Amino acid sequence: MNNSDMAISKKSGSKSTWSFLVNELKPKGKIFTPFNLISAPIVILGVVLIVIRFINGLGAVSNLTQETPWGLWKGFNVVTGVAFAGGAYVITFMVYILNLKQYHSVVRVTVLNGFLAYVFYAGALILDLGKPWNIINPIIGNNFGVSSVLFLIAWHFLLYMIAQLIEFSPAIAEWLGARRARKILSGMTLGAVIFGITLSTLHQSGLGALFLMAREKIHPLWYSEFIPILFFISSIFAGLSMVIFEGSISYRVFSDQIDEAKQNKRYDIVHSLAKICTLAMFIYFFLQIVNFVHGKNYEYLNTRMGYWFLVEMIGFVLLPMALFFYSYRKRNILLIKVAAIVTMLGIVINRLNVSIIGYNWDSVNQYYPSWMEFVVSLTIIIVEIWVFRWVIRRMPVLREPPSWVKNK
Amino acid sequence: MDGFSYTNIFDTKGIEYLVVIAFLILIVPFWRALNKPLKTKEIAGDALGVLTAAMLRIPKGLFYSSNHVWTHLERSGNASLGLDDLLMHLTGRVELKNFKNPGERVKKGDLIAEMTQDGKPLRIMSPISGEISDVNENVESEPAVLNEDPYRKGWLYKIKPDKWSSETGNMVMAEEARKWSEGELLKFKDFVANSMIRHAPQTSEVILQEGGELTDYPLSGMPAEVWEDFQKGFLNIEE
Repeated sequence: MNNSDMAISKKSGSKSTWSFLVNELKPKGKIFTPFNLISAPIVILGVVLIVIRFINGLGAVSNLTQETPWGLWKGFNVVTGVAFAGGAYVITFMVYILNLKQYHSVVRVTVLNGFLAYVFYAGALILDLGKPWNIINPIIGNNFGVSSVLFLIAWHFLLYMIAQLIEFSPAIAEWLGARRARKILSGMTLGAVIFGITLSTLHQSGLGALFLMAREKIHPLWYSEFIPILFFISSIFAGLSMVIFEGSISYRVFSDQIDEAKQNKRYDIVHSLAKICTLAMFIYFFLQIVNFVHGKNYEYLNTRMGYWFLVEMIGFVLLPMALFFYSYRKRNILLIKVAAIVTMLGIVINRLNVSIIGYNWDSVNQYYPSWMEFVVSLTIIIVEIWVFRWVIRRMPVLREPPSWVKNK
Repeated sequence: MDGFSYTNIFDTKGIEYLVVIAFLILIVPFWRALNKPLKTKEIAGDALGVLTAAMLRIPKGLFYSSNHVWTHLERSGNASLGLDDLLMHLTGRVELKNFKNPGERVKKGDLIAEMTQDGKPLRIMSPISGEISDVNENVESEPAVLNEDPYRKGWLYKIKPDKWSSETGNMVMAEEARKWSEGELLKFKDFVANSMIRHAPQTSEVILQEGGELTDYPLSGMPAEVWEDFQKGFLNIEE
């Protein structure tokens, strides 16, 4: 009996709903899996570090300084994580706006993934703020700062999280067996999608725009006034690569949730996503060239940072693009996954280059993240995966919605 | 030379324009190359060890029964029969045993031979009824001919058919046979996915359609349970 049926079979008295929820909170499946055994100690350590951070301040656990106020948590968790969450707006755009129904089976899992990414990575922002309670300021209007990019990002994050929650909410309603709520919520989906796409396109580039203010600090090979556009375009293939990668893991880990018809369709979806990635990366690569020429940064090429720039451009843009191209042509799903992983590495490298490696590159006091920052970063990711897993095991995300949804 | 002043376009926007023009010129062939129909793969499939419908040998003059046995009525009035190329590509090298003897009578659906690979058996049923007039003993001693030449040297029996026209009525020929084979191949892909997940989930990805294509001889290397499922799904004759 699946969960939703369970929910219905219980009369919707408040007590049984309560016991249903309590029951659902318990872990399902084996507890001592290799993943749990590795991740649990990291999370425990990470939580301890987070507590220390809030008691003794940022300096206690991180190597952040006044000169380098943005470290690993922002550069990796926020800036990179949000790029990976870009799959949600691309997929919802394709399904709800372009009406490409064949991608419908991956909408929920992608939106869930995007939603959790935002919740956790925006959550990571709190860790990073010297005065975390000030995070509410842009919302409540304490010194609105309307001309700041951060203001825009704060609002976009908030609104986009709400939009994604609405997009995902029919699955929650199905889980709880709330038919009326589901009807209302699914009626709101299209509106939320349109709203969400607008927001994401704006703040994907907005995240890039944050760096416009740091012109003197960022290495000229990575700084340009076009960072917003580059961030936006790259979030397309970053997000889709994440969909390919996350899909191939999910379909292995949660194979019990997926019926065979979907399993077969997945190859077609992955295959056609590879094509979109190829084209987006082709365009992105040329934008990078134009950008490079425009900045007249030739003299930097023959330096250490220049070589690193070439590694990023050739090894992590051109190469994965060629891999996508080749594997799309050969319909080689394994190779498409490889290309997706290389692309994701490339995105991590690119975002870190802008936000950490190329940031204050000529400064005497170079920033290197402390081990504690790494542990906290990992903790955030692992807890997100735990929550993701918890949701997948309970709500109809990968599996078919309960029968009453169709019978209406 | 009054009025002529040289501007170095490369110092200003020249190269940027050239890059943009190069992009516009390149994106057309790039897009076309990306969208070219996927043809080369099917031709190359044979060499790459990939099993595709295009590489199957399906002679047009034979009748193909749903259990992957072909049959052909010769001028002598005897019908020869054997195993089709698709089956041989799915199983790979096999051994045949338990042949019937000349003079025995078989009915449609009777067991006429057993095929084994590393102890995993498949039963071959007769698609027609009649009296066996000849057995190809060659295939017992030299089973490789089944893979190399399934339609000539690889024949199994010659049978004097009782009800040739009624029993071949359901069989397919020529283009229809090709379409049917393509369908069987697709059906097999689904079958692999389902059966492997049930019986050997940890290895299913290896053989299963990575890249949407089967490798040659996908059944070899699969566990006996899968062979049993295969028997039910592909080789049994429904009466």
